[in-house]
Amino acid sequence: MSFLQLILKNLFRRRSRSLLTLTGISIGIAAVVSLSGIAAGFEQSWANVYKARGTDLVVTKSIARSTMPGPFPWSLKAELQKMPHVREVGGLLSDVFSVEDSPTVLVIGWEPKTALWNHVTLVSGRWPDDASKDTVAIGTLNAEMLGKKLGDKLQIETREFTVCGIFRSAALAESGAVVMPLSAMQALTEKEGMVNFFDIWLEPHTSPEETEALRDSIKKEFKDLTAFNPGSVSESNLAMQVAKAMTWAVSSIALVVGAIGVMNTILMSVFERLHEIGILLAIGWRRGRIMQMILAESLLLGLVGGIAGCGLGVAAARLLQRSPWVHGKLEAALDLRLLVTAVLIAIALGGLGGLYPAWIGSRMSPARALRQ
Amino acid sequence: MTANEITSKRTLIEVRDLRRSFDEEAVQALRGVSFTIDQGEFVSVRGPSGSGKTTLLNILGALDTRFEGNVLIDSVELRHLPSPERFRASTIGFIFQSFHLLAALTALENVQMPMFEQKWRASERQERAAALLKTVGLEHRMHHLPAKLSGGERQRVAIARSLANEPKLLLADEPTGNLDSENAQKILEVLCGIHQERNMTMIVVTHDPEVAAATGRTLRLRDGQLTAEG
Repeated sequence: MSFLQLILKNLFRRRSRSLLTLTGISIGIAAVVSLSGIAAGFEQSWANVYKARGTDLVVTKSIARSTMPGPFPWSLKAELQKMPHVREVGGLLSDVFSVEDSPTVLVIGWEPKTALWNHVTLVSGRWPDDASKDTVAIGTLNAEMLGKKLGDKLQIETREFTVCGIFRSAALAESGAVVMPLSAMQALTEKEGMVNFFDIWLEPHTSPEETEALRDSIKKEFKDLTAFNPGSVSESNLAMQVAKAMTWAVSSIALVVGAIGVMNTILMSVFERLHEIGILLAIGWRRGRIMQMILAESLLLGLVGGIAGCGLGVAAARLLQRSPWVHGKLEAALDLRLLVTAVLIAIALGGLGGLYPAWIGSRMSPARALRQ
Repeated sequence: MTANEITSKRTLIEVRDLRRSFDEEAVQALRGVSFTIDQGEFVSVRGPSGSGKTTLLNILGALDTRFEGNVLIDSVELRHLPSPERFRASTIGFIFQSFHLLAALTALENVQMPMFEQKWRASERQERAAALLKTVGLEHRMHHLPAKLSGGERQRVAIARSLANEPKLLLADEPTGNLDSENAQKILEVLCGIHQERNMTMIVVTHDPEVAAATGRTLRLRDGQLTAEG
């Protein structure tokens, strides 16, 4: 009989309790996996937007680091355009609206004749032009979500628009969006002459050091504005930071509940086995080996619960993705690193939950335990 | 004198002025007990209930190290022993009145338990345990759980387990106390056989005069004191 077989035997003979503990750990880990995956997906969906556009720097208002920062004058573009290594600047104004049956739809106004329009492919129809303020193009996912086709009417807030084009974008956030010319968006939001983002494209072969220097210059010269690399979008975005913090807060609660579950199970099992542990100590088992046995049981519960929780978490994230609130807006980013981290957390959880019972078990007096 | 006889004369256990009290001296379980036991001796300890027999056995087995006086086993002083478990693993084999087998493990697995502290592989542990069960005549019952064994069979499993760590000293606390006379006789035969074959030092706490008669020497305890030897 190996030590592992002994551990398994100990766990299997209390099947119901072991299963309940596994369920507790699995739910905790599933919460970590699904929420972290969704949060990472949220972050990634925005990073993908900039990646698809090929943006080198993003300029936004420094004091409002929300997903949709406050507006600032489009006229600043001329000054930005003059800065070293800047090839092109495109202004955009975006916001989230409730559009017909969909509660949150990203609506973007792009500055005409800029590189902002280059990364998307028109699937059907035409792009809305600056002259007509009541036409929009919608992403393929948006068309699917809202059930719209060319020529259909689209109600945004109090105004009615006509779908004149359907486009495809590599970024999921844009696929689910509505696009119109900047001036139309300014009129819709009553923010004439304003934008809330400038996307900047740099000259080819601009070095990372030069990009960094430009970023610093923008921050210095435009006191209300900040510039960030698209790769660090989550650091610059308060909404993403809040999403991450919320994820970890909810996950932590789930994990604490899981750890208490493990501790309860192992502690109960130790109290039930005081006599047995006394026998093992009497026949020569070291206190360290008693600790090893109890800890190994809880670590094994953690490992199995972690693996099961990953499966459950992936399934939960996939289900969430299909819900009307999430569908089309983001995809859960469930990479191997997240799953491995989750399993390691589960093992640590098992270890933490098992520490106190292991200590209790190993401190027992064998003579007293044998008398029980 | 043969080499075996010289070896058998070596003192294995030396107890000097052993005292043990409980409840802040309110109960004095042992009051100045002294004796020696040679290697290879088979000794019984008798006395009425509460005379201190089990306390003495617990001290000799390093289950209780909070005593006054001196107890040396194989030249190791047991008082303030840094690791009593390690000492038990290398030196002591225990047989209990109520067997104390692990209910979830088979006879074969129970016998392997003390071997986890030895550097033997799982397959080696299994082979050794099977051989020990054969020694006590239980080779046909090795895959049975304790609940499926008779009282006598359980005690034989416990005897096999007590030999698993190849101890120098075997301590038995009323090994026939929970058995009928037929099974008690079998257990006594097994113990005598082990003593003869292995020249093992054995101490048996017993109320049973037949068990005491089978041993070479009897220590009599009354009120925590040694009253007679013979």
